Amino acid sequence: MKMNRRQVLKAGLAASTVYSPWMIARAQARPVKLAAILPLTGAFAFAGNAALDAFRDAADRINDSGGIGGRRFELVVEDDGYDVARGTAAFNRIVQRESPEELVFVYGDSTGLSKALAPEITRLRLPYTATSFSNELADPNTYPTIFVFGPTYNDMAGALLQQIRRQKGRGAKIFLCYSNSEFGRDPIPFIKDRAAKLGFQIVGEEVTPLAIADATPIVTKLRQTQPDFVIMQGYVLTVEPLVVRAAREQGVRATFMGTYYSAELALMQRAGAAADGFIVTYHNAYYYDTTVPAVEQIRALRRSKGRDLSYRTTYYMGSWMAVDVIAEAMRRAHAAGKLTRPGMIEALESLGDYNAGGQVRNMRWVNHRLPFTKLWRANVRDGRFDAITDWVDGSKL
Amino acid sequence: MDLALVIQTALNGLANGALYAVIASGFVLVYRSTSVVNFAIAEFMLIGAYLTYTMSLFFPLLVAILLALPLAFIFGVLVERGFVRPLLGRNVVAVIMATIGLAATLDGATLILWGPDQKAMGAADVSQLPKEMPSLAFSLGGVFLSSKAVWSLILALPLAILLVLALKYSRYGVLLRAVSESETAALAMGINAPRVVAVAWGISAVTATIGGAFLAGAAGGGGPGHHLILLGLIVFPVAILGGFDSVPGAVVAGLIIGLIEAFSQLYLESLLPGITQAIPFLIVLLVLLFRPYGLLGQHRIERV
Repeated sequence: MKMNRRQVLKAGLAASTVYSPWMIARAQARPVKLAAILPLTGAFAFAGNAALDAFRDAADRINDSGGIGGRRFELVVEDDGYDVARGTAAFNRIVQRESPEELVFVYGDSTGLSKALAPEITRLRLPYTATSFSNELADPNTYPTIFVFGPTYNDMAGALLQQIRRQKGRGAKIFLCYSNSEFGRDPIPFIKDRAAKLGFQIVGEEVTPLAIADATPIVTKLRQTQPDFVIMQGYVLTVEPLVVRAAREQGVRATFMGTYYSAELALMQRAGAAADGFIVTYHNAYYYDTTVPAVEQIRALRRSKGRDLSYRTTYYMGSWMAVDVIAEAMRRAHAAGKLTRPGMIEALESLGDYNAGGQVRNMRWVNHRLPFTKLWRANVRDGRFDAITDWVDGSKL
Repeated sequence: MDLALVIQTALNGLANGALYAVIASGFVLVYRSTSVVNFAIAEFMLIGAYLTYTMSLFFPLLVAILLALPLAFIFGVLVERGFVRPLLGRNVVAVIMATIGLAATLDGATLILWGPDQKAMGAADVSQLPKEMPSLAFSLGGVFLSSKAVWSLILALPLAILLVLALKYSRYGVLLRAVSESETAALAMGINAPRVVAVAWGISAVTATIGGAFLAGAAGGGGPGHHLILLGLIVFPVAILGGFDSVPGAVVAGLIIGLIEAFSQLYLESLLPGITQAIPFLIVLLVLLFRPYGLLGQHRIERV
């Protein structure tokens, strides 16, 4: 095809506009955004505010080192008060307000909110993770854009059952105590199923609200059933200290166990000596473990900003890890020229051996979750959790 | 049926019920004196628990609770002076909305003043173990009573009963009943009604503090935190069952609901998960349908 002079001039003008330094500068000036819906108020404010602290620190570190390919990394934060309705409204506000070119990832709150939003997240093809470790969310066939940055509650329970097999073997007696919530009920069918296959006996089951006034009825059942292990699920250190203290007071000698949200030092702070020996799953690093590079990164960043260097909770550590991983995916997506929502999913799926400064084993997804965790035992004398295993694949039973 | 287990469950239920009774009696006292339904009662518990926590950083726990009580009283009086008094005489819906607003304000204030981190009584940071009340747990003939239950029975239950007696026989109790009957008539008789009402709010904050401190783990486990708001909701079924305007009714209803909860948790919860949480509110439904004036409330007949 032969072009006339006018067409050549028009094409030249268009090309120079598209590829002009001004356009490139404009694209680079456009920030890349991560939205976070966090429980900054309400029953889980302690976790939400710790997460926000981590998000801000991690964002400072990213921007201090040049952002994402020259684009500024920005946080969009909304409070949901651990309420599904408020969280849904916050999510709708965010996706309507922010442009898809800038907002490439959403970090959400809770199992309930994540399950409620999952169909819409999938429709929008929006990369998403949350504070939840629900098994249902880690299903790329149903929810191809949702990732669980750690083991699911089933994997955590699987790791606990492996520990029970090591400690006691067949015939172990297990008592289940869980909250009457999505969070509490999530791994219970899995535990019952696997326990039966492993020859364990579920000798009792107690369902409670998220907060209780008195643990005596639960402990009475523990005294009646004499379990070897008590698995507690779906609490955030409101119920565990009450139960474990009352149980020890009444001479119950069972080993208590919990998952990620029981793995915080506040367990010992609240339950005192009774917490000694409590076994938990936890898949990130503790802030006191200075051999982990991520801990040094956090301390260096906070030192450079003149921020408090005292203990950071597990909620902080998990959130720092999440932003670290998301930022790495953004860098890789940018390097591939695809810093878009679909590009982010590709980048996340190909992170491979990236270990977020030692905060995870690796980023090799199994159905969009990372099934590895470690088991830790509460050591009240030292005020720490001691690792009692290396990485355990919770999905292998 | 194991008799020892029944006795143990009953005593623990009564111990919890005593806490409900003491909180609800303060709530009812405010309603009687001002006709204000204090929807911020759970936040009063929260503030009381945090005041106890603050004192516990410097003093033994029992002393901390005792020191928190006068502070709570001042807090209650300040709420009445600054927040409730300007609203008296306004539309009841406006007052209800205002106390709901007060609840949100207090909720936010605790977050600002004490921070969001999880706390334990007497422990300034995570490296410290909690302070504990002297253990009074005992076992007798197969009946085990936890330290928390014993402390609740020896502190909360007598306090609730004392409140009932004081309201009936003390001079202040007579003044309060006079104000609750007719504030105008009481003023005409030379009673300093505003002061009486302020004291009622102060006492309500004190009783909420005792409940809040114990439910926040003053005698075993837990710590002050937002979960107290969930626990504080129990005040409403207790007050409604008791008759809403009857302090003795609130005490009796608190003990009844404590007992029902304990037996439900033991025998029904595994059959019907969630039933223990629901039972107090089912009771409310039944009371409102069949006995709206509750156990000991006044029978009011309004002609329209």
